Amino acid sequence: MATQIIMDRTGDTRHYFDAKDPQALLKAEERFKELTLVGFTAAVRTSPGEAALTRRFDPTAEETLFFPRLVGG
Amino acid sequence: MVRQLTEIGNNYLRRCHAQVVRCGQAFRDWFQELRSPLVSQTRGVKLLREWLSPEQLTQYDATGYFHVIGSESGKRYRICHGTAMNIYEIDLAGNPRNGLCFVPNAPLVAGDVMLAQKIALETDERGALVVAKKFSPSASAFANTAIARQRVNRIG
Repeated sequence: MATQIIMDRTGDTRHYFDAKDPQALLKAEERFKELTLVGFTAAVRTSPGEAALTRRFDPTAEETLFFPRLVGG
Repeated sequence: MVRQLTEIGNNYLRRCHAQVVRCGQAFRDWFQELRSPLVSQTRGVKLLREWLSPEQLTQYDATGYFHVIGSESGKRYRICHGTAMNIYEIDLAGNPRNGLCFVPNAPLVAGDVMLAQKIALETDERGALVVAKKFSPSASAFANTAIARQRVNRIG
C-alpha cells in the first residue's frame, strides 16, 4: 500500500492506496496536483532519514509527504 | 389510577434518560476537546520519528533536538523541539552562530514543524534560508534544550 501523508492541525491525515489500481492511482495523482497547486511541498522518502523533494507525481513512491509552504517566522 | 401513576412514572423515566444521554454527550465532547491537542502532538512526534535518520532519532530522544546538514553549504543546524525560533546554525565546536526562524504557513504541531524544517534544510537549504528570518541566539537559547527534552518526554 502506498501512502500520501498530509500535515495538518491534527498531526497528519493519511491516504492509503493500491499503486496497482489505476483508479486509485488516478485519485492519488489528482490529490498530489491539488495539494501542490495550493502551495504544499511534496517529499518522498528515499531511505531511512532521507527525503527528496518532488514536483511531479511519482506512481512508484511508497510514501509521499506534503507540508505547507514555508515562511519566515 | 394505576394507569395514571404508570404514565407519570414513564414520563419521568424518559426525561431522566434524555437528561443522562445529554450529559453523557456533553462529557464526551468535553473529553474529546481536552485530549485532541495531545493526540495531535503525539501524532506529529510519531511522524517526525518515522522520518528521522537513526542517528537523529537517537539524538532527539536523548536531548530534545537533532542536527541536520544543509544540502548546499554543508553547514550544521540544530533543530530543537518547538514550533518557532527553534533552529540554530552551529559551528564545529557546537556553539550557536545564528538563529533561524521559518515555519509552515499553517497551524501545525511541533513534530510536523520540525520535520518540514529538517526536509527543507536537507533538500533545499537555499530556499529555506531565503524565507528564514534570523535572530541572535542568546545564551539561554541552548538552555532551552532541557525544556524541550521535558516536553518531548511528556509527549512521547
